[in-house]
Amino acid sequence: MSYPPQNPYGQQPYGQQPYGQQPPPHPPQGPPPGYSQQQYEQSHQATQAGMPLPPQAPPYQAGPAGQFGAPVFQPPGGEGPKVWDAGTLPDNDNVNPYCFSVDLNGAYYLQKGKMIAYYGEMRFSGVGRGALDQLLERNFNSPLHASDWVVAEGRGKLLLADRAYDLNSYDLEDGNLTVRSGNLLAFEPTLQLKQSIIPGFLTLIGTGKFVAASNGPVHFVEPPIRVDPQALVGWADCPAPCHHYDHGYLHGVIGGLRHLTGIGGASGEEHQFEFIGAGQVLMQSSETLMADRSVGVIGAEPGIPGSGVPHQQQHGGGSVPGLGNLGDLGRRFGL
Amino acid sequence: MAQFRLQGSKVLAVDLAGDTVKARNGSMVAYTGQMGFKKLSGGGDGLRGMVTRRLTGERMEVMEVKGQGTCYFADKATEINLVRLNGETLFVESDNLLCTEASLRTGTSFTGLNGMASGNGLFTTKVEGQGWAAVTSHGPAVILRVSQGLPLRVDPGAYIAHTGNLHRALKSGAGWSTLIGEGGGEAMQVEFTGEGLVYVQPSERTTLGGEV
Repeated sequence: MSYPPQNPYGQQPYGQQPYGQQPPPHPPQGPPPGYSQQQYEQSHQATQAGMPLPPQAPPYQAGPAGQFGAPVFQPPGGEGPKVWDAGTLPDNDNVNPYCFSVDLNGAYYLQKGKMIAYYGEMRFSGVGRGALDQLLERNFNSPLHASDWVVAEGRGKLLLADRAYDLNSYDLEDGNLTVRSGNLLAFEPTLQLKQSIIPGFLTLIGTGKFVAASNGPVHFVEPPIRVDPQALVGWADCPAPCHHYDHGYLHGVIGGLRHLTGIGGASGEEHQFEFIGAGQVLMQSSETLMADRSVGVIGAEPGIPGSGVPHQQQHGGGSVPGLGNLGDLGRRFGL
Repeated sequence: MAQFRLQGSKVLAVDLAGDTVKARNGSMVAYTGQMGFKKLSGGGDGLRGMVTRRLTGERMEVMEVKGQGTCYFADKATEINLVRLNGETLFVESDNLLCTEASLRTGTSFTGLNGMASGNGLFTTKVEGQGWAAVTSHGPAVILRVSQGLPLRVDPGAYIAHTGNLHRALKSGAGWSTLIGEGGGEAMQVEFTGEGLVYVQPSERTTLGGEV
């Protein structure tokens, strides 16, 4: 994935744009490679306007009425809602902001329970079935999440939706994008799915289309940026996603105690995710998270974050985590 | 003649001129003019309907609204779909029926074992006659046409309503692999054949089938 040359990594040193000040205006420079024009325009307009898009009414059009003895769906003085069938449903596009139609011809990965309806002949089989091993070897590299995913095979139109959250499709061209595991709905088998090193996120690599959900319209922003953890949907290519803690808990014992106990109050915004480097960060316009399914932990191996094995040898041994030793305050202050 | 119109997509406004509508109990959010609200026992289907509803579990708490002015209805910020009936029958989940004109008859209809297996209950609510009905959905409903040779399969949790001459059958994809936890996650589907329209919502309520 290449990037707009006007913003190469390193030319905008960190700290040059103080946070909280007027951000540089984003010139409408067309979609970055890897995103579809439609997707980009939609999100970019929303970002520039400085506020989320209002929930748009689906593009209702007058449908053919009165056929098959069915009722006429015409509100008085207005146009009736659109009636879809297998022929008129869009191919790999949104039916309305909350529903996506896949033109299935072959195989497609989708998360369990996201299918709401389909026309045609399809079979849904759990990831892990023998007949699909060939496909899985190429595309599905995330054993932890295997039980949440199914492969839809066949021909027809497949409708996807998730709790009436906003759905968007993203086109990757030889790129990579990391997304919160609960937010990913479906992806083409031309993409490879891998677990991110960051627990709870999945990375898609390659060329193809995938569908992800967000609560409220999704916004693309460019790093450097700090985002609220609950508003983060994912990121593309950013080389350094890291935690950032705002408040001065390192400033003395009082700050440390305040951090540990919450006594003295907290704004709830002291912890952010920070992204630097070239890429795009995807944010949703609310702080409602998709419910993550518990997928267990990855195998306990040294050196793997989140695997339950400490990545460093404990100093002195026998140090108990938690309040017993005041959250490692001793180690923090070099005692 | 009550006039149904949408105020935004989530509020139903009904203009009344001395006539009545039936609405879900407690769904009124505002009104202008003079309105009277009367709780109807047993879904407003009369004594026989009341007994039927009690027996079938297809409970519907309904009130009768009568007066002069405009009455506004809403339910948990769900989207509202207006359906005009001209003598046809609308089959709708009782949870999704918000308001009907007084000229419409409501009743219960036996959906058979497939309803039970899909977790939607054995019975569904039937609305028939001439007039307007308001159906709620979580997210704007997608209306899908079923015609000869083009059957539609729907996740039971996303199904809201259907009209027309449709046959409903349960299609199970569950096999031995479902039992050992490697199921397709879409083990239960409702297949619609015939000719008509099916309303689905872009969301799934929790059903037995949805969890398999």
